[in-house]
Amino acid sequence: MTTGAVDRDDGAVPAAETTAGWLSGRGWALGAVALVWVGLYVAIRPVADWLSYRALGLARGSHVGEAVAFFFYDVPKILLLLAGMIFVITVLRSFFSPERARRLLSGRREGLGNVLASALGIVTPFCSCSAVPLFIGFVESGIPLGVTFSFLVAAPLINEVALVLLFGMFGWKVAALYVASGSVIAMLTGLLIGRLGLERYVEDFVWQRQFKGSAEDAATLSWENRVALGRGAVRDILAKVWAYVVVGIAVGAAIHGYVPTDALAGYMGRDAPWWSVPAVVLMAVPLYSNAAGMAPILQALVEKGAALGTALAFMMAVVGVSLPETILLRRVLKPPLLVLFIGVLALAIIVTGYLFNLVL
Amino acid sequence: MTTPVSVIEVLGPGCARCHETFRVVRHVVEEAHIECLVQKSESLERMADLGVLSTPALAFDGKVVLSGRIPKSEEVRRLLGLP
Repeated sequence: MTTGAVDRDDGAVPAAETTAGWLSGRGWALGAVALVWVGLYVAIRPVADWLSYRALGLARGSHVGEAVAFFFYDVPKILLLLAGMIFVITVLRSFFSPERARRLLSGRREGLGNVLASALGIVTPFCSCSAVPLFIGFVESGIPLGVTFSFLVAAPLINEVALVLLFGMFGWKVAALYVASGSVIAMLTGLLIGRLGLERYVEDFVWQRQFKGSAEDAATLSWENRVALGRGAVRDILAKVWAYVVVGIAVGAAIHGYVPTDALAGYMGRDAPWWSVPAVVLMAVPLYSNAAGMAPILQALVEKGAALGTALAFMMAVVGVSLPETILLRRVLKPPLLVLFIGVLALAIIVTGYLFNLVL
Repeated sequence: MTTPVSVIEVLGPGCARCHETFRVVRHVVEEAHIECLVQKSESLERMADLGVLSTPALAFDGKVVLSGRIPKSEEVRRLLGLP
């Protein structure tokens, strides 16, 4: 997130007008923020230990001491990770837009188109309220139905907040598996829907439309805009999720040791009956929560003996299949296609759950 | 005060982000005392006609000037050509 700018502004060029001028003007401020961020991140462990063992005088190795130190370490760590990574992700994402995705996808055939659409679905900034205009816009410009679905599945399924939290709580391997399985689900869902030839289950008015051209492209954003977007996203997301994170970690720290770690093993663990994965996914489909609310719950479930695949399947189903989006999509999809869409998505998540339980 | 824009449309299906955009735009228009119509459109057909793929979006006299994010009031002022 730092910039390579070396030259200070010499007063000749208005700083905000050109990219180079902007970078030399504000790049320094960004660099300073990045340094402070790294300093804070490095300081969390010693400060958490000092607070718990010195300031509060709790004994090292004691149950309470460990729980309190864990809380003081984990809360700032997760919040800092969220702030830093959401900023970087939002600025990077500002180089992509649905308009650009449409341009890249139009004229693609199925197969390669599905692969590209899932990748673009992950990186393109997208609000689920835009699902319907996006669907119409993609289809009217000739993008195959299956390719459009790959995009529509990938976008909500792989959520940036969930990604950061998984990375912070379980490490990079789980985070990478989350992205990989999400992309595969998006690709396969789109391929299957494309193969089945379900065009007749899209509302007729969509096919009667004529493609009339594209609107503004986000590529014209200035650096000032991009950084402002990043800052706005960090502020919005932290404001929305800090309470979940604090409560989630506090509950996790508090029940640590009190609730037996295998409390859930019989229902959601590795040796649970085969139907436990489909059961949690079915339970999760009607639920909708933001990813930030889910990740601490996921950690608590795993802590108490749930297998990671089962828990991850639960989270993906809660985050990726949302009732509000489904209701909006009904305006362009006839019921059979809508039901099939949810069904295939749920099935794919169930398969991922089994796969993770086998692999991890 | 007058600007070359006579109709401002805020396009979006009616989620919180669209309401916020509408509020920002109306605030700018009222503050600058410009005479133009500020409309909120939730019609999918209209969005598709204008080529809007991500909401909230802003259109001045039927031309999209911004889409996919909530603008700051300074940005709306600049788009309207206000000082």
